[in-house]
Amino acid sequence: MSVVTVSDAVIEELKGIVGPEYVLIDKPARYNRTRVPAPFPVHRWGDYVPDVVVLPATAEEVSEVVKLANRFKIPIVPRAGGTGLADGAVPLRRGILVDIKRMNKILEIDLEDRAVTVQPGINMLKLNEELKKYGVFYPDDPASYPCSIVAGRIGTSGFSLISSRYGHTRDLVMSMQVVLPTGEIVEVGDGGGRKLRKSSTGFQLKHLFMGHQGTLGICTEATLELVPRPEAEFAAFFGYRDFEAAYKSTGAMTKSGLATLAAVVLFDDKKVQYLRRDDEAYIPQPKSVNSVIATAIYGVEDEVRAAGKRLLRIAKETGGKYLGDEVSQGDWASRHDRYATPLHGRLLNGQVVPMCWHCEDSAINYSVIPKVRKEWHSIAERYIKKYEIFDDWGCFFYTNAAYKPWGDYLAEIDIGIWEQRLNEENWRAWVECKREITQVALKYGGSITACHGSTREGDAEFVPVEMKGGFEVMKRIKKALDPNNIMNPGKNMLDKAYED
Amino acid sequence: MAVNNNLQQEFVKKWRDNAYGCFTSGHKFCREVCPVTQVTRNENHTPTAFHANIVAMEQGALSIEDIAQDYVNCTMCGACELRCPNTLFTGDFYRHRTQTVKVVKAMRALAVQSGIEQPNWKRWVEATVDKKSEPVLDVPINQDNVAAWAKGLDLPIGGETILFCDCEAAFYRTSVPRATAMLLKKAGIKFGLMREQWCCGGPAAEMGYTDHARVFAEHNLADWRAVGAKRIIVLDPHDYITFTEDYPEYFGEDFDIELVYITELVADLIRRKKLKLTKPIKRVVTYHDPCRLNKRKGIFESPREILRSIPGLTFKDVDHVTQWSYCSGAGGGFAVERPKIAEEISRRRLAKAAELEVDTLVSACVWSERPLSARGRELKPKVEVRDLMELVAESAGLDYGGVKV
Repeated sequence: MSVVTVSDAVIEELKGIVGPEYVLIDKPARYNRTRVPAPFPVHRWGDYVPDVVVLPATAEEVSEVVKLANRFKIPIVPRAGGTGLADGAVPLRRGILVDIKRMNKILEIDLEDRAVTVQPGINMLKLNEELKKYGVFYPDDPASYPCSIVAGRIGTSGFSLISSRYGHTRDLVMSMQVVLPTGEIVEVGDGGGRKLRKSSTGFQLKHLFMGHQGTLGICTEATLELVPRPEAEFAAFFGYRDFEAAYKSTGAMTKSGLATLAAVVLFDDKKVQYLRRDDEAYIPQPKSVNSVIATAIYGVEDEVRAAGKRLLRIAKETGGKYLGDEVSQGDWASRHDRYATPLHGRLLNGQVVPMCWHCEDSAINYSVIPKVRKEWHSIAERYIKKYEIFDDWGCFFYTNAAYKPWGDYLAEIDIGIWEQRLNEENWRAWVECKREITQVALKYGGSITACHGSTREGDAEFVPVEMKGGFEVMKRIKKALDPNNIMNPGKNMLDKAYED
Repeated sequence: MAVNNNLQQEFVKKWRDNAYGCFTSGHKFCREVCPVTQVTRNENHTPTAFHANIVAMEQGALSIEDIAQDYVNCTMCGACELRCPNTLFTGDFYRHRTQTVKVVKAMRALAVQSGIEQPNWKRWVEATVDKKSEPVLDVPINQDNVAAWAKGLDLPIGGETILFCDCEAAFYRTSVPRATAMLLKKAGIKFGLMREQWCCGGPAAEMGYTDHARVFAEHNLADWRAVGAKRIIVLDPHDYITFTEDYPEYFGEDFDIELVYITELVADLIRRKKLKLTKPIKRVVTYHDPCRLNKRKGIFESPREILRSIPGLTFKDVDHVTQWSYCSGAGGGFAVERPKIAEEISRRRLAKAAELEVDTLVSACVWSERPLSARGRELKPKVEVRDLMELVAESAGLDYGGVKV
């Protein structure tokens, strides 16, 4: 691993650009901007600590910082919320870390053309608190909604829980301003218009900057979609006797044609067992419930009422038992908080220990869900038996397609890892486990990841495998935009672009 | 590399599992409700960082010298703990409830024990030790005038029930204790004052000076016992936290004093018609939930009940959960060391009040009232900051007087 040490002269120049108080070289500032919530090689923490942290306030400051980094060929890594579940924001090669959280202003609310322009450091929840006054909202709804930040959503091409109704981040960002790896500030959208949703001029550059994981530049401004605040929200949870029945029912619901259906989430039996075993807040269900489907409908009241009736009927006809208003409304309302709760797990001998959560997510088709699920659990079981630091927290399957609930799914297996016991042997075992899980998704025609990114060891090495000929195009684009490989180097196997 | 300092080793041993509970989650829901982080946007100041540092200490990567400064950046409002998923849903069965306020307090104590002191806190605690009361700015402080606020109220010394008057209230905003004492008298509550009242000791403890804090506590408990006190009426949330959380820790099972917060008592008096509010107050108000009252002690209903019982008042409420992200910036010694950030925190609080188009922001924490008042005067139109007890006394037809700054 190449290790860069930023010189005093560079530090002085950085202070001149952003102001001395926004250049941080103290150890806690750097250590705290290393980690992400995913299992972290805590025994090797020191390997990924950036040399210096800057907190810019404007696009111009970001541009000057990037130009400086490019001049001295210093690695530079953008960081937003630092809540990503892959390593997008981890500075693998140290260097300059650009923390954009100070850039959190709302620049324009356009109620006529339904767009809001923001600085990229704003949090989704805070943005919607302001938008509420105008009867609109920005419907990007990650599980980490209370703390996720717009720039991170763009950098990872994030997944929204209510995307079947409103789309994902890539559909909701109309255009953005990006500082390229050489420091130029450019605007990219659908065509050249800042507030246009559809154009066929030129290349679709907006998508190039969705999910690039900070390898192609730093977003400094974004224009986002505004939608009416839904008049009504209907959440319904259903219980099933087994996974097979719930799986079939999911298919029936998602193919029903209900346009207001915002989300369908399938919990498998392992997930229900885990919740029953270790989540005190989980409302106990009869033993006959072995799989659960969570659904949500958003829209105007007349549509939602009618769609709700239809959905209840479909569920009943396909073997689902409505779990009641308390579970349905309560669990849906607390969906953001609940996702972060599995902070303890069990060893093979039943001992409860604090565990962190590794979420392995893939995009797969509906037809292969049963096979993928079975193979994933069997991989997890092998590792649990061999290494005393893992636990299987079950699988989720979220509807994945934007504006339509059928077809493909974000499939996720949650693995608990006893982080306090990580050492090199255990860490290698975990990476190997991750590798096996990733390969199953690829074997069944899926993608490594639906939302978190393929930037961690264990899946990054499969990017060329999944992308095939497209990886050659990626390398050429990377080298053309970032001739010195300064932007978040080491991610997505893009170092290969510089090998020749 | 092992942590080479005994104090640090003990600290890490005590707090490591709690820290891992946050570290292994790392989801930072706390960040957007943290009053300091909302202003600075600096990840060093997030509650998550406060826990991650402990894990780094365990790894031998950081030491108290590296991190002491960061732990100044906390008002100890407790919003982070409430917003933490560990607290919200998993209960405490596995002892995984995130404790951040205690961690900050303990880390500040570790810093002082390790010889790392913050200059303004040091001066503040020294002045408190010297005067036996907190150094309320620009006002002469000493034991001779600690009860000067009660002039003309004819209050006895001692008795089963004691009214504990906070330092800021005793020396600076005397309208608050005067209004409170007159209300209690009107409702027929028998109470007295201490023989010699010292600071509760809470601020010294929050700034890391635990030994000093203990001395104040021992004096006050001895004074209470000497006058036969069984029950203390408290009019400031900071004192309430100290008495209900620090004192039991100091004195264990021997601490058998009943503690009553003034809003709980007054709401009960109004409910039982022992106190009649008859004079209409033509104001449009909203309520500022003091952090220690709402977020840390769960007292948010009684102040609202009182406000709703005042005739003529238009009360524009914001629910107590929304108020988790508000703070005056005055707590945890924060304003003493970081006055500019504290000022911005209170400015933002007033801006939220102004959005509701009110003429008055009512608080139930005397320490919050000075910074909030200053920011309220900056607004156009101005928003006046009043203490809840002042409004109640006014509506009860009492001319309480005192200084109201």
